Amino acid sequence: VTIIHQASHIILLYVNMAAARRHRRVAASQPGFIPLKSDLDGKSLSIGRRKRVNKNKKKNWNKYSDINDVEEFLDDVRLQERATGGLIADKTDESLFFVDTGTKESVLEPETGKKSKPLRIDLILQPTSNVAPPKDILAHQRPNAKKERRIAQKIQKLTDMGVLPRRKRPQKVPVKEKPIISKDPDRNFYDIWSAGSPETADPYYLEQTKKKLVKRPEKMNEKPSLLPAVEVIAPGGSYNPDFLSHQALLLEAHEVEVTKLKAETKLARKLAVNKKEFATQETTFKEQIEGLVEEGEEPENETEGPEAVADADEDEAVGPTAQQEKKTEKQRKREKDERIKELQKKAARQMIDSRQQLFKLRSIETELKKREQKTKMRQIKRKTQQEAQKTLPRRLGKLKFQAPDLDVQLSDELAGSLRTLKPEGSVLKDRFKSLQKRNLIEPRERAKFKRKHKLKYVEKRDFKEIK
Amino acid sequence: MGGLQKKKYESGSATNYISRNKARKKLCLSLADFRRLCILKGVYPHEPKHKKKVNKGSTAQRTFYLLKDIRFLLHEPIVGKFREYKIFVRKLRKAYGDLQYPTFIDALRDVDDALSMCFLFSTFARTGKCHVQTIQLCRRLSVEWMNYIVTSRSLKKVFLSIKGIYYQAEVLGQTITWLVPYQFAHDHPTDVDYRVMATFTEFYTTLLGFVNFRLYQTLNLLYPPKVRDTHTLSAPGSELTNAYLLQSLALFHWFLCLILSFSHLHPCSQEDMEKMEARVKAQHEQDKQKKLFEGLKFFLNREVPRESLAFILRCFGAQVSWDKSLCIGSTYDAEDETITHHIVDRPNMDKQYMNRYYIQPQWVFDSVNAKMLLPVEDYFLGVTLPPHLSPFVEEKEGDYVPPEKLKLLALQRGERPVEEDEEDDEEEEEEEDDDEEEEEDDDEEAEEEAKLKEMEEKKSQGKALPVKVTPGKVKSENRHRLEQEEKAEEKRLAIMMMKKRDKYLYDKIMFGKKRHVRETNKMVAKRKALDEASKADRKKKKQKKQ
Repeated sequence: VTIIHQASHIILLYVNMAAARRHRRVAASQPGFIPLKSDLDGKSLSIGRRKRVNKNKKKNWNKYSDINDVEEFLDDVRLQERATGGLIADKTDESLFFVDTGTKESVLEPETGKKSKPLRIDLILQPTSNVAPPKDILAHQRPNAKKERRIAQKIQKLTDMGVLPRRKRPQKVPVKEKPIISKDPDRNFYDIWSAGSPETADPYYLEQTKKKLVKRPEKMNEKPSLLPAVEVIAPGGSYNPDFLSHQALLLEAHEVEVTKLKAETKLARKLAVNKKEFATQETTFKEQIEGLVEEGEEPENETEGPEAVADADEDEAVGPTAQQEKKTEKQRKREKDERIKELQKKAARQMIDSRQQLFKLRSIETELKKREQKTKMRQIKRKTQQEAQKTLPRRLGKLKFQAPDLDVQLSDELAGSLRTLKPEGSVLKDRFKSLQKRNLIEPRERAKFKRKHKLKYVEKRDFKEIK
Repeated sequence: MGGLQKKKYESGSATNYISRNKARKKLCLSLADFRRLCILKGVYPHEPKHKKKVNKGSTAQRTFYLLKDIRFLLHEPIVGKFREYKIFVRKLRKAYGDLQYPTFIDALRDVDDALSMCFLFSTFARTGKCHVQTIQLCRRLSVEWMNYIVTSRSLKKVFLSIKGIYYQAEVLGQTITWLVPYQFAHDHPTDVDYRVMATFTEFYTTLLGFVNFRLYQTLNLLYPPKVRDTHTLSAPGSELTNAYLLQSLALFHWFLCLILSFSHLHPCSQEDMEKMEARVKAQHEQDKQKKLFEGLKFFLNREVPRESLAFILRCFGAQVSWDKSLCIGSTYDAEDETITHHIVDRPNMDKQYMNRYYIQPQWVFDSVNAKMLLPVEDYFLGVTLPPHLSPFVEEKEGDYVPPEKLKLLALQRGERPVEEDEEDDEEEEEEEDDDEEEEEDDDEEAEEEAKLKEMEEKKSQGKALPVKVTPGKVKSENRHRLEQEEKAEEKRLAIMMMKKRDKYLYDKIMFGKKRHVRETNKMVAKRKALDEASKADRKKKKQKKQ
C-alpha cells in the first residue's frame, strides 16, 4: 500500500506543479508521511504578491516553473533509502525507538567455547543500504568463440585482398607484463633482457597509436668518461704497506701540501705592505724639488726655483714651419716621373724574382718541409691534449672539480694488525667525488641561507636600564 | 639587406646544447626533480668544445645538456603528470633503464659502481637519514651477489687498504672491482649531497637486482634465493622470520646452493695443438686456484672481520665457522678437533690446540693474492707480519720490485725460501751463529789475500814458486752461456762500427733506458740501508736489555 501511495503522490506532484502552497499542503496532508527534513512540514510561508506571467509560451515553461519541492522530496526519499534502508515511515516502531528501562546489571556470560559474538563495530560497518551495488557488465560478458573466429576470418580475407581493417583489433600486441613496483626490500625482479619487445608489431601502427618507443639518441649510450668506476688505491695505501710504496704515497701527499703552501706564501708575498715605505709629506716634497736645488742654498729660494725654470723652458720652444708655396709644373712632372720609375722598378724586380725562384727551389723545399713539420707537431700536440682532456674531469658548471685529499696514514699511525686498524677516509665521500670526476654530476655547493631582510637587534627595556 | 644574411647562434653547436635552467623549464620540473630524473635516465651534462659559441657570446659558466637528450626525456610519460616524488619514482620504474643497457654485458660493465654503492649503503646505520627500506634492499642485494660469487668461485684478488677492502672477481669474462667499507662506525661527511646519492642508489639497486637475476639464471639457481629450512638452527627463537634473517649478513650461508657442474666450454674449432695445450693448462691452473682452501677447516675468532673472511674462505672451498654467540650460522665450535686453521688477531691465545695452526687474518688475503697456500710460519701470533702487497699493481720490466714480492714470485715458481740472516729477536742463538759465520768468511778471505801477497813477493824476489804443473780439468762449457756471449760480442762490434751521429743518438737512448734501472737500484740501496739500520737498532736494544 505504501508503494502505491508513493507512486500516486509523485504523479500528483508532477501534475500540479504550479503553486508552492498547494504542494506543501498536499505533501503534508498525506497520511503517515514523516519527512526526514523538518521544513517539509505543512508550515506555510508567507508569499507576497507575485508577478503575472504567461505560462503558455515555451520560453516560460522552464523559467517560471519551480520544481524545487519535488526535487527536495525526491532527494529526501533517496536519502532515507541510503542511510536507513527504506522509508522511515515504513519502519516498525521497534526498529526506531526503544524504551529506556535503566541500566541492566551486567552479567558476565561465560564465552561459549569457539563462537563469540561479532563485534558491534563490525555490525555497524556492515552495509545497510537498500541501494544495490552497480552491476559489472563487463564481468558478465563472455567472448563468443564462434563470433570471434568469424570476425578473424573476415579480417584475414580482407587483408589477403589488400584491404586493411579500420580497427586493427587483431594487431593488438600484448603489453609487456608490468613490473611490480614497490620499495619493498623483498620485491621481485624479472629478466628484462629476455622479455619480448613491442618492435614485433607494425611500425606504422605503433607510430599512429603513439606506442612506438622513442629511439634513444646514440650519444646517450656513450659513457661520459673513460675512467674506471672504482679506482684502486696505490699500494702504499695498504693497511700494512711495504716501506717504499708507503714512502712514495707520503711523498705525493707531501707534494700536494707543498704546492698549497707555496700558493699561500706567494699570495701573502704579493699582498705584503711595508709601512715604512709609505709616502710622507717630507718625502713627497723632496721628490718634487729633486734636482732643482743646489746643495747649501736656503730653503726660501727653493720656492722661486721652480718658477724660474719654467720660464726658461718656454724660450726654447720651436716655432711652426713657414707656409708652403704652390707647386710648379716642373715639380709635378718630376714627381710623376719618379712615381712611374718606382713602379717600373718594382715590376722589373718582380719579374726577376719570379725567374730566380727557379733556382731557389731547394731552399723553398726546405722551407715548405719546415712548415709541414710545424703543422704536424701542432696536430700531434693538439691530439695528445685532447686525449689527456678526456681523462680529466670536465667543467660542467660554476664550480670547478676539487680533487679529494689523498687518504694516507702517517708512519706512526700505521696499524700492525687488522684489529688495531683505524680506517681512513670515508667511502661515501670517495664515491661522491668519483661520480663528479666521471662527469656524472656537476660539483655543487650547499645552498646558503640568505636572509631577505637584515636582522634587527633590539635591546629590551629592562636591559637598557642596566648600566 | 638583413633578410638573407645568416644570423649568429641560430645553427650549429649553439642549437645542439641547452642550458640546465632552460631544460628544466622545458620539462616543467623543479631542480631537485630534474636532477633525479637525469640520474635515473642516465642523462649527463656535457661540456661543449666552444663554450662561447654555445653560450651565445657570453663566457659565464653554465651547465649544458644535449638538446637531443632533453627531447628524449620529454617522451617520458611521467613528466607531464609529475606531482609527488613517490608517484614520480613509481612511474619512472617502468623504464628501468632497460634501454640504457641493451645487452647484459653492458650492464655488467656498470655493475662495479652499483656494487660499491650497495655495499656502502648496507653499512649505514638505520637512523632514518635515508629510508630504512633502501638499506635493507641494499643488504639483500649485496648478500645475493656475494652468494653468486661464492657459488661460481669467481673471486680473484683481495686488497686490504686503509679505506676499505677491494675485491676483484671475473664474471662472464668481465673483470669487476668493488670496494667494501669496514664495518666499524664512521662519521657521515657533511659536504655530500645525500639526495643525489640516494637517487643513484635507487637506480643502482634496480640494476643490480636485474643483474643478479640474470646471473642466478646462468647458474640455474632459484631467484630470489630462499632460506634453507632450519634444522641446524639451534639459536633460541626458531620462529625467526625471513625479515630478521635478511637483516643479518650471514644469510648467504643459508642459501640454497645446488651442486654445480662447471661446464668448461671448449670451442670446437680447428686450432693448433699448442694453443689447446696452453688453454688446457690455463684452465687447469684456474681450477687449482678455485680449490685453494678445499678440505681445510677454519675457525674465526671473535675479533676478526667475520663477513669478509667467511666470504673469501667460502669462495675457495673452505669450511668456516665462528663462535655461536656472535651470529647465526655457525656450524661447529672452537673445540672441534678437526679444525686445521684458527684465525686469531690477538697477541697471544690462552688455550692452544695441538693439531691446528693459529694464524693472523692476513694469511688468508695474501694466500688468495699469491694463488697458493703461503707458509704459515710468517703469520703466527705475535710475529711481525710481512707487508700486505697490492695485487692490483702490475710491475713492468725494470721497475722496483719490493723484496717481499720477489720472495713471493720465487715461492710461486717452486723454489724454496732461502734462509735469511734476518730473524726474530727471540732467536738470539741463530744471530750469534750468523755473526760467527760472517766472521769466519772474512777470515777466509783475509787468508786468501795473504797467500796471494806471499806468492807475488816470492815472484818478485825471483824465487822458484812452489807451484807445479798439474793436469788440467775439463771445464763443462755451457752452450747457452756461449751463445749469449757471442751475441754480446756481436753487439759490441756493431756499436763500435756505428757512425758518430748514430752513436750519439744511441747513447742518448740508452741513457734514457738506463735511468729507470738506476732509479730501481737507488731504491734497492735505500731499502738495504733501512734494513741494516733497523737491524742495528735491534742489536742495540738487545744489548741494552742485557
